[in-house]
Amino acid sequence: MFKLILSNLRQRPTRTCVSVIAVALGVALLLVSMGLSYGQLVDTVRRAQGIGGDFILQSSEASVIFALNSGTIPVRVQKVIEEVEGVEAVTPILAKFLGDQFHIVFGIDPESFGRVNSTLSFVEGGRFSEPREVIIDTIYANSKKMKAKDPLQILGHEFTVAGVFREGIGARVLLPLTTLQELNGTPDKATMFFIRAKEEVALEQVYESLQERFENYKITKTAELQEIMMDSTPVFKEFVTAMVCISVTISFLIILLAMYSTITERTREIGILKSLGASKSYIVRLILNESLLICAAGVGLGFLATFVVIELLVAAFPTLPVAISLFWRVTAAAMAVIGGTLGALYPALKAAGMDPVKALGYE
Amino acid sequence: MSEMIGITRRKDVVVVEDLQMVYRVGKMEVPALRGVDFSVKEGEFVAVIGPSGCGKSTLLHLIGGLLKPTSGRILIEGVSISSVSDVARTEIRRQRMGFVFQSYNLLNTLTAKENIALAKRIQGNGYYEDGSAQKILRMLGLENKMEHKPWELSGGEQQRVAIARAVINRPAILLADEPTGSLDSENSRMVLNMLRELNSDYGQTIIIITHDPEAAATADRLIEMRDGKILNRVQNMFYAMGEKRS
Ligand SMILES: Nc1ncnc2c1ncn2[C@@H]1O[C@H](COP(=O)(O)OP(=O)(O)OP(=O)(O)O)[C@@H](O)[C@H]1O
Ligand SMILES: [Mg+2]
Repeated sequence: MFKLILSNLRQRPTRTCVSVIAVALGVALLLVSMGLSYGQLVDTVRRAQGIGGDFILQSSEASVIFALNSGTIPVRVQKVIEEVEGVEAVTPILAKFLGDQFHIVFGIDPESFGRVNSTLSFVEGGRFSEPREVIIDTIYANSKKMKAKDPLQILGHEFTVAGVFREGIGARVLLPLTTLQELNGTPDKATMFFIRAKEEVALEQVYESLQERFENYKITKTAELQEIMMDSTPVFKEFVTAMVCISVTISFLIILLAMYSTITERTREIGILKSLGASKSYIVRLILNESLLICAAGVGLGFLATFVVIELLVAAFPTLPVAISLFWRVTAAAMAVIGGTLGALYPALKAAGMDPVKALGYE
Repeated sequence: MSEMIGITRRKDVVVVEDLQMVYRVGKMEVPALRGVDFSVKEGEFVAVIGPSGCGKSTLLHLIGGLLKPTSGRILIEGVSISSVSDVARTEIRRQRMGFVFQSYNLLNTLTAKENIALAKRIQGNGYYEDGSAQKILRMLGLENKMEHKPWELSGGEQQRVAIARAVINRPAILLADEPTGSLDSENSRMVLNMLRELNSDYGQTIIIITHDPEAAATADRLIEMRDGKILNRVQNMFYAMGEKRS
């Protein structure tokens, strides 16, 4: 059977190639779009978690997409949070989305930040000590070819890079809280507070105490940030669903078309197979296996295409986070196979049901 | 196999009883067979002759289980194939039938060898153990053509491959619908000789449809049809062909 399938695929090289490419397109489309959107998400979450808090406190109407918020909570709330039982340390953060550079910067208070975070480490230079100094992470430094002591424009003001820190903590650019408050026009305000719980106290207990004390605020466990972000990113789930549907539909339609035209062309062959005693299930398996082979090749090519596209994108935009999880690889492959099999099913059943005498082209 | 047994003591491979076949074309009914009775014994070589449109191919397709009759009975080795399910009929076709067509009907994407191998694989039962498979291929003069694709073979060679494919699994009956219809006289003679040899050396039961007097003369027995019925049964040796080729 395998030989027959291969010889048929070889017999129509153009159609085989076009089908494989179309399936690959569906796979690559899904993987690249998921890779980029999850990449952004996973990266943001990872860096937020890198700050080191157990909880994030925001005003009740705020979004966990930090870029969408501005300074809304008075910094003095920090004192109130610190009084809650089980809280070890609290640090205010002011997030500001730089529209012109398309990334986010955090204003941090170095003293309390150091109590929440224990992982900030410098590859070059060190913490800022002046109001007009910033620190940047390694990825930002690499992509902008910057090092310590270099000048950097933020919100129309000149800053100096005090140090380059190992990436993975908060934003790619960190500057003094008071400076950012001033530039943002929100003195004494913060976007959120990162809260670290005492190690000996159960997290759930601290969480409940915080919720009780700050009824009108939103408190998020940093461990659950990814799910919460997915839920609150506008149309994220819809986007994911749409991409999956598109991918399935592409392989469904292309395989339907390819297999349908195949069986019309090969009516006689199907008649011959039937005269040789091939059962209906044999014919069905023949067509389904042929489509599976096309899908498998398409998945392979799709993975390859994804790899190439991502490499090119990352080469062009080094700060672009990409995350293609095993889950999405498996999903993309499964969608291609499911779409292809569904598409091949109708032609396969039609072929199996052909009248052998008519199929042999008698009369 | 070829020991002399009286023809009447051999068992029936095919029994056809009051077979009727009506094709429906839209609202019109086309009667193709109007009550056919006959039987073929094991090891017989039977030729079916008759004018175009008299129902020869229809009869062959019914015997081969490719079609279902409107009424009547067909027994293959004692098993009725007219009343069984599609699945069972496919199974009998798979195990017990070998077809040869006028237009060869080889799979164009496969070589001669692969065509034969495919039949072996689909049917996958009691085919000639390798020795005699080789012998048959040698007899058919195909040994050095096995790697060729159908279009690289002459009509005669293609038909011989088709015969090899049809008999490779030792079918109970070899059904051939005008196997020499597309061949020149030399190739026809070669193909007929091979059928003859398969019959005499391997005891292969053969039913052949033909317009060719020479082909008809090769058979042990003639069944002459007209208008969906069998005219008479004539012992071959005294037969003089009354038909013109159409
Ligand atoms: N699928 C079909 N649908 C309708 N009518 C059919 C069909 N097949 C055959 N017939 C009709 O049945 C009759 C017998 O056809 P059949 O093919 O059996 O004749 P035949 O003896 O094999 O003829 P030939 O020698 O030309 O091959 C003819 O009248 C033909 O038109
Ligand atoms: Mg005919």
